[in-house]
Order: sequence, then structure tokens, then C-alpha cells
Amino acid sequence: MARTEYWEGSEKYLCDKGLAQAFHMARVLGMPLLIEGEPGTGKTELPIQYAADNDAELFVFATGSKSNVEQFVARFDHVKYLRDSQIEILNAQRSEKGLDKKLSTGGRHSENLQDYVVKGPGAQAYSSPHSVLLIDEIDKAPREFPNDLLFALSHRKFIMPESGEEISVDEKNMPAIVITSNREQELPTAFKGRCIYHYIHFPEPDMMRQIITKHHPRMDNKVVSVAIDIFYHLRSIGLERAPTTREILNWLSYVKQYSNEEAIAKIVKLEGVGALIKTQSDMELIQKKILTDPDDFSRRSNYN
Amino acid sequence: MLETLPHKLRAYGLDSDVRTLLIMYKGMQKGLVRTLGDLYGLLKGLVVKDPRMLGPFTKAFYDYFLNIDIANGETLNDAILRSKTFEEWRVALFERDKTAMDLTDNELIDLFLNEVHLTSYDIKALIDGRALWDADNPELEDENPQETSAERRVLDKMADYSDLSLEELLNRMNEVMDRQKGEHSGGSHWIGTGGISPYGHGGAAQGGIRVGGTGGGGMARKVIGSSHFFPVDMDRIINDDNVDAVLASLRGVIEESAHEKLDVESTINKGLKRGGLFIPEIKNISEQKLRVLLLIDNGGYSMTPYIKTIRELFKKMKTRFSHDLETYYFHNTIYDRVFEDSRRSKPVFLDKILSKDPEYRVFIIGDASMAPYELNKMSLRTYKKLTKKFKRLVWLNPEPQRYWRHTYTLNVIRQVLEMFPLTPRGIEQAVRKMNTFR
Repeated sequence: MARTEYWEGSEKYLCDKGLAQAFHMARVLGMPLLIEGEPGTGKTELPIQYAADNDAELFVFATGSKSNVEQFVARFDHVKYLRDSQIEILNAQRSEKGLDKKLSTGGRHSENLQDYVVKGPGAQAYSSPHSVLLIDEIDKAPREFPNDLLFALSHRKFIMPESGEEISVDEKNMPAIVITSNREQELPTAFKGRCIYHYIHFPEPDMMRQIITKHHPRMDNKVVSVAIDIFYHLRSIGLERAPTTREILNWLSYVKQYSNEEAIAKIVKLEGVGALIKTQSDMELIQKKILTDPDDFSRRSNYN
Repeated sequence: MLETLPHKLRAYGLDSDVRTLLIMYKGMQKGLVRTLGDLYGLLKGLVVKDPRMLGPFTKAFYDYFLNIDIANGETLNDAILRSKTFEEWRVALFERDKTAMDLTDNELIDLFLNEVHLTSYDIKALIDGRALWDADNPELEDENPQETSAERRVLDKMADYSDLSLEELLNRMNEVMDRQKGEHSGGSHWIGTGGISPYGHGGAAQGGIRVGGTGGGGMARKVIGSSHFFPVDMDRIINDDNVDAVLASLRGVIEESAHEKLDVESTINKGLKRGGLFIPEIKNISEQKLRVLLLIDNGGYSMTPYIKTIRELFKKMKTRFSHDLETYYFHNTIYDRVFEDSRRSKPVFLDKILSKDPEYRVFIIGDASMAPYELNKMSLRTYKKLTKKFKRLVWLNPEPQRYWRHTYTLNVIRQVLEMFPLTPRGIEQAVRKMNTFR
């Protein structure tokens, strides 16, 4: 298993208690932790901050629509192999002709098949004990990827292509594996079954305030209150794409340059709201709201 | 031991099998489970694979371990208040702490929940003895069980099970289970003597730690997430409230496929440039196409309540995932035509439907209930043709599944095509079914 101490976040990262517990359980049991939740709730941050806080090596596999398990584990570089073997023939021919200068293969030998194995993050993480392995946004992958991955992960052993070299890790040195998903597609049940699952709910206002304080420690309390209030109000009016944590942080970064009064005025006027609202129809909806009830946002500045 | 647990979980619609138990035992061995709250947390991580399943899981957990049965639509508070478990717990609480009698029902429930959901993580936070906890590392559990600092004793009193062997722990759990199963158990349950409750060891609460006090109440409610607690009922017929849950299930139809294919042209071109060294070039083909045909039965008053919601649902789906959606209507059953408009005045003949790309996903929505003579050979042939052409075709039925077997025409249709209830769960199953054809 990976390191099994309970870890509940660092100075920079506020880890939700449930998440910290699930992460701890996953490490103790040597199972991957699967985190799902709305975008912008800090899923990816967990392994990054954990690795930073514990001085552990971090390996990231960013999943895309074309990901396959070879990229994750290791692939054999056929082109280099072919080139090197041709160079050997060339070199032999050259020495026959009495030419001294040889072409270089960059220290690789075509007999050593390992030299041509390019390790992916999975194999790298398995060869370095107590590392952290992040498989990001697995829902972007083609459907068969999670199941292929499952096989690779549950055997704690990878077999390198062509060379047949085996990379295995015992339970003690297992990397902490974190998998994130935005739920853009359902993951196979069997896959979910092998993971400890945690769903991050959108933070409650209290929690949001703490998160903001971590990121903007010197921000005035009242500014934060007003921003949070409007932020949750915006989330509640049924936008197509509700703003997330990341976006309120960006918004606050924008108003930070102003004095407190100015900042509050800007917030209630929804200035720089482009940081929060990401689609045209949402923008229209908000403008319509302001027209029909102009006080809807501004009366929130009386917040104490 | 606890071997009936997967069965109970499955009865609540959760995925669970013997592996759940095996991992749970492993977790116990590693010292992850010391309180009932820990068990809740661990099982949650193992069994709840979707935020919507948290509610059913909590119900199952309360039913199995606490004998608290939360009826449909009942609030957690009411279920606890009327439960015997709570009653007995309250009696025991009053015995050891007279001041508790002044508490209101809600405060008592908070206290009860806090005890149920007390985890060893909380205990750790309460005692605030980091060193103690670290010394109590699960991996070291057997090395020094006699170690007795003052703080350590507190933890012991909080029902630390690390000194118990796994077998003892399981035995104890089993005993409790058995007694729980007895009809009039008389004071023996988790939150009583001998249970796995943190207060189980003879009133350790007097040791000075009052969870409710420090947690500010409602700590446990956070755990079970009060605002997310009563989720959409997965077996309710689709309505305006659960339309979003359905939408989430429908999302599965959009299937982005990616596969690799030998790129002959590029292999030849590059190979020629390499001077005749041909290395296969692979090209990635990814496609995301989704086309949906919706055939809705809008005749007869039985379907009326659902039409609006269904249209709303697919409209939402359309705006959310942008794809081709075509809706047609029919009355009771399909013969040789369907209609473009809901008033059924503009016919579209079946041949036209059948000439579409077989990649279309087809949803037929109707109650499939009609007079037997209406479902004639012609109509059945239509369904056969449709299923032959469209591999991804399902019928969604708003009629509750338990009545299905009473309807003759419904069962005839079911022999020709796949039918699912028009509930979030049914649609999820339908989508899964659709995706198995590749």
C-alpha cells in the first residue's frame, strides 16, 4: 500500500473531510480512489497537493479521447528499433570499406530490447515506490480504456511490450492512485467496483469561504461575503452552466486590484462576470434578470 | 459473517457482492473499521458508485445495522423517532446522563446521529493527540496493545477495536446481528451494550468527551449530506422532479468512440519518403455522433400525463448535447405510418423511417396497452422491421412495471423488442442495453 497516514490537506489545499477519509481508505486498502464531481471542485488538486505535501513523485496521465492502455503503461518504439538495426548494418558495411566513422545509435543496442521501451506514467509510477499516480478525466477516454486499465491495475504488474520485462510493485510500495472523472460518460460498473468511490458535492457557502481564504488570504471579509452571496444566487437561478469554484476565484482575482468599496460595487454590478458565465444564453438570461429586477443583485451589497 | 449484507444492499438497488465483504474484511484487518461510522464510510466508498445511490445506501445501512427502516417519502428524523433502536438508545442515554432529558427531539436525534456516524477520524480530531494517533497506526496494531497512556485509555473507551482480532470483531458483530434479528431484542443493538458503538463500553461518554458538543451538532448530518439525502427515487415514473436524473442517465447514449485504423495512404506516402521503408501508420478515428428517433404514443388519455415531460426531457437533451432529434407520434401502436405533428395529421410512412441510418437510437414511448385486435400482424411486422433495422431500439413504458404482466398486448410487444420502465433507472438500463450493441 501507499503511505497510509491520514492526510487532511495542506496549507494551500483544503481537503473535504469525506474526501480525505476516502483517500485514506483507498491508500490503506491499496485500491485506486475514483473521484467524481462537478468541474471545478478540486478533484485534480488532491493528488497534486498530496504529492507536493509529502514530497512524493507525481505521475500524471491526462486521458483524452484517443487514450489507450499502451500509452499508460509502455510502448515499444519500433521506429527507433528499426533505425538502429539498419545503422548496425550500415556500420558493418562501412567498416568493410575501411571507413572509421560510425553512425551512432545513441547508446542503444538493438539486442537490448528494453532500450526501446518507452515507459508511460503507469509503469513509471510502479517502478518508483510511494509515488502518486493521477489518471485525470478518465471519462474522456474511449469506452474500453477503463476496463483495460482495470486489468493492468488490479494485477499490480505490467509486462513491457516486446522485451517481456516485468514491472511489478508489492502492496507496500504501491503508488497512491487517484482517478478523476467529470461524469461525461458513465464508467463501467466493473471498473467502479474496483475503486473506492467518492463524489465531491459542490461546497457549501461556509466551505467556499474557507477555500477563498486559502487562495486570497488578504481579501476583505465583506467583499468575500457579497461575492459568495451573489455567486450562490447565480448558481441557483438555473443557468445552463453554473459557475464553479475556479470561476469565483478568478472573479475575485479580478476585483482584488480595487479598494473594498469599489470591489463591492463591481461585484454587485456583476462587472467582470464573464469570469463566471461561460455561455451566451446564460449571459442573456442574467441580463434579462437585471432588467426585470434591477435590485436583485445590488441589494445584496447590504450584506454584513 | 455478515454474509447477508450484500443481499440487503442489492435489495436496495446497490451493486454489491462477495467482493464487498472481502474488501470490508481487509479494511477491518488493516484497522480501518473501529466504529459504526467507519463502517459506514468504508461501505459507502465500496458500494456507492453514483451520488444518486447515497440515499438508497443510507437506507440500507440504517436498515441492516441499526434496524431503522426508512419508509418511502419519510424523513430521516421521523424514521429515527419511531424506531425501537432510538427509543432504547434514549433510555440508556437518560440513565447515564440526566441532563439529556432537557434536550428536544431534534437535539436528541442530532446526538444519536453523531454517535452513529462517529468515525475514528473524528475521535482523532477530538482527542487532538496526533502522536497518539500516529502511534496507533493500523500497521502497528498488534505490536503494543498494552500501551496505556491516559489518552490511549480514552480512545479505548471510545470503542477502539484495534485490540480485537478480526475474528472477535466479526463474532461480536454477528452476535449483535443475531440479537437484532430477534423480534423483541430488548436493548441489544449497535448503540447498546456490546455493540460497535463508541459508547458501547459501559458509558465511556462520562470520560469527558461529548461528541455532539464539540461537533456543533449536525456533524453526522454532514456525513450523510442532509441536502442530498433524499435523492430522486430511481423507480418513480419520470416527472418534472427527476427529469434531471433521467437526463444524466441518457447522457450515456452519447458515445464517443475512438478506434485505430491502418492509414494506407499515409503509410505509402511516408514509406516512399523513407526510401521504401514502410512502417504502418495508424490513424485515430474518433467520432461522436448521436441521432435519436423518438416515437411517442400520444393517443389515449393514459399517455397524456407523460407527454409533456417526455418532450421536455428530450428537448433538454437536445440543447444539452446538440444532436439530431426527430420526434414522431402514433396512436396506441404503429402500423405503416407515424405522424410528424402531435395532432397526427401529417403522416410519415414507415419506409421513410426505415431508410434512415441504422446508427439512429430509437426510443418508442408508450404504454403498449390497447385492445388485442389493434395489435395485428401488420403492426407486429412493423416492430420486427424496426428492430431489425435499428439495433439500438428500446421501448420505454410509463406503466409501473408490476402491472406489466396483466396487459396482454404489452407482453406480445415485449416478445419482439426490449421494454424498460420509464423511470430514471429504467432509462439507465435501456441506455446500457443500447450501448452493448457495437
